[in-house]
Amino acid sequence: MAKYILKRVLFLLVTLWIVVTATFFLMQILPGTPYNNPHLSASAIAQLDQTYGLDKPVMVQYFDYLVNLLHGDMGTSFQYQNQSVTMLIGQRLPVSAQLGLQALVVGILLGLWFGAVSAKNQNNKVDGFLGIISTLGISVPSFILAIVLLYVFGYNLGWLPVSGWGDSFSETILPTLALAVGPAATTTRFVRSEMIDVLHSDYIQLARAKGLNGTQLIRKHAYRNSMIPILTLIGPMVANLLTGSTLVENIFSIPGIGQQFVSSIPTKDYPVIMGTTIVYAAMLMVCILITDILTAIVDPRVRLK
Amino acid sequence: MKQWQKWTAAAVVVLAVAGGSRAAGWWGTSPADDKSTLNYGLATDIQTLDMSKATDQYSDTILGNTEANLLRTNAKGDVVPDLAKSYSVSSDGLTYTVKLRSGLKWSDGSALTAKDFVYSWQRIVDPKTASQYSYLTSGVKNADDIVAGKKPVSDLGVKADGDTLTFTLERPMPQFKYLLSFAQFTPQKESFVKEKGSKYGTTAATQIYSGAYKFEGWNGTNSKFKMVKNDNYWDAKNVKTKTINWQVIKNPETAIKLYKQGKLDRAAITNSPEMYSANKNNKDAVTTAVASSTYLEYNQAKNPYLQNEKIRQALNLATNRKDLASQATGGSRDAAKSLVSNNLVKASNGQDLSTYVAPGYTYDKDKAKQLFAEGIKEVNKGKMNVTLETDADSPIAKNTADYLKQAYESTFGDQISVTEKIVPFKQRIQDGANGDFDILVMNWNGDYPDGSTFYDMFKATDTGMNDGQFKNQTYIDAVTKAESTDANNPSARDADWKAAEKALMDSANINPLYSWKGGFLQRSNVKGVVTNPAGLPLDLTRAYRK
Repeated sequence: MAKYILKRVLFLLVTLWIVVTATFFLMQILPGTPYNNPHLSASAIAQLDQTYGLDKPVMVQYFDYLVNLLHGDMGTSFQYQNQSVTMLIGQRLPVSAQLGLQALVVGILLGLWFGAVSAKNQNNKVDGFLGIISTLGISVPSFILAIVLLYVFGYNLGWLPVSGWGDSFSETILPTLALAVGPAATTTRFVRSEMIDVLHSDYIQLARAKGLNGTQLIRKHAYRNSMIPILTLIGPMVANLLTGSTLVENIFSIPGIGQQFVSSIPTKDYPVIMGTTIVYAAMLMVCILITDILTAIVDPRVRLK
Repeated sequence: MKQWQKWTAAAVVVLAVAGGSRAAGWWGTSPADDKSTLNYGLATDIQTLDMSKATDQYSDTILGNTEANLLRTNAKGDVVPDLAKSYSVSSDGLTYTVKLRSGLKWSDGSALTAKDFVYSWQRIVDPKTASQYSYLTSGVKNADDIVAGKKPVSDLGVKADGDTLTFTLERPMPQFKYLLSFAQFTPQKESFVKEKGSKYGTTAATQIYSGAYKFEGWNGTNSKFKMVKNDNYWDAKNVKTKTINWQVIKNPETAIKLYKQGKLDRAAITNSPEMYSANKNNKDAVTTAVASSTYLEYNQAKNPYLQNEKIRQALNLATNRKDLASQATGGSRDAAKSLVSNNLVKASNGQDLSTYVAPGYTYDKDKAKQLFAEGIKEVNKGKMNVTLETDADSPIAKNTADYLKQAYESTFGDQISVTEKIVPFKQRIQDGANGDFDILVMNWNGDYPDGSTFYDMFKATDTGMNDGQFKNQTYIDAVTKAESTDANNPSARDADWKAAEKALMDSANINPLYSWKGGFLQRSNVKGVVTNPAGLPLDLTRAYRK
């Protein structure tokens, strides 16, 4: 196990280095300068380039960046003057992470519940209804749902605040719901089909024959086995939600990392693009690693080699 | 209840309780009817409270209301003393002498002195600060050399002696007084800046305030914060508002909804032509002056068709500016009369400068057709295939390109083919700078309310803004005269601007399309709000609810 993890971590570092290198050189293609003010003359730009070291050859800049990165220094944002990228990400990532975590918890709990109910009521009205709901949930993008929720609960009913973050819990409810529906629907579909498989397996038939009733059967015997594929699903889902949803963040004016990342690209904010990419890549890889390890723990048939 | 349903219910409760620590304002704050409070929105996050580095109008808005400069623009557009008691300009226009009010204090109670101004000016020109607005100081003694790293900051022509500040200029700069009102040049306390180091200006607590309000509750990322009356401000007795609540609202539709619910005192309506049409007749709708013009740049260095004056004239004459402003922008912009934007500043005869200098751009389809046919013959390369480049950053930009393509193709028939090229903002800037375009839709926002912020663009081919790379000697002579021999003579200077505009039109070097304006829903019982076409966009120093 330890050897396996060590090997995976090494791979992770190599992959990160490849991501850093690819992003760094791809970024050179972006047009223009990272400076916000379009009134700068050529000589003013040259002066600023010199201050930031952007006048050096690309390879030198690349190695400088790598050396600084190894020292934990991701540079200073151009767009948010004065702020170090570490601080910028450090402030915004928790916002996105909180939102993502809330959405994940709500989404998965709903998914587990609906999935089980669906499987138990296979092919009757309840199953059909949940089937329609979950298909809708998968196909309607979160930002459309966000606007609908905003319109209904924010504007028309006026029950919940329409924008903001960090000042009251009520602000988090609408964006959480908007983001939770996708994972909830996906989980519902997976749990349903897994559980139907499991419910038809021999050991469940045996348990039935021994006289176990429905609820106990599902809780004690069916759930654990139908969790295995869900685990592989949750890994990327976590990474996806934690790193923020640009559009939902924008609709509700949430100062998260997703929005920061997207706005850094057209403004050519090199250090932020680099920093955010690294953090995203690392989070995705760590989540997948953890999922793989958990899968092995839950399912002894998976052998770690 | 089934076991796992219980768990689900429990988890939901836990989730709610976990957030409970933040549940202070469960249902949000109620709209303020109370007279001591105002409520405003910002369209983006605050980027910085470091005035030497701020580049966006939203950070500028926060800084301009919480920091004070020597002068401040009043509702009439005149600059009047703020932290200054008085100021005088030498007859050659080269020396500005400013006397500070006595007993000035920072929001923390410490003394605010002339040295704090000198430090702020030295900080913005210091190459280490890498300010993107240091070029505004060009013309102050040694500023250019200091920015270029050739001289130490101590050589800057800004000196303090007791409570007197002296600014020494290398050339007369009639616009200099406006710099003394800008947020970029507000005082900074050296010991405070050094103490906060890299955290300076990154939260409300890592800045100190010299203005009518103190800033509170901004931790660097949150979206609600407030300005609270600063009792140490010299004129605090005339500041009637105790609290201004601010929130970041990125979605402009949301801002309008909140305005209509009474939760905001102002909301912008110029985000799209549709939004403007839907709200412009609201009884609360107001327009404000904005120092921005949109015009076409013709590539006169590389494109043989556009090097032909008759073709440029024809394109200008085939542009129906009134129709363009109402069709493509939904009336959210006004037809251009000149390069300089409408309502920027008054000319010395009392007229709006853009009206005074207007050279008489007209729409004449027949004359356009005739000139175009002659021009095509002179160029002798057959049909004119031309790209029209604009950025994709607003719906209005795309509408403008569509309108012009249609107008030119219907006027000149099969003699012209216009291809739209819609690119990201930075790409447009880069293509402009490299001359990789035929016709470019260009927006220019003036830095200060003075004609030179527009006319300086074309006084040489290497200003960085003359993307069309034209050299119009009549124009250059007029602008040079305005900025040298006529610099201290306002009426002669205005006449020079007028001559420059005429020279531009006569050679059709550019094609002015429309002038920008701000459109807002604004609470009518909020009085004393000052808006400026350039500089501080929204000044609430004297604002109060009646």
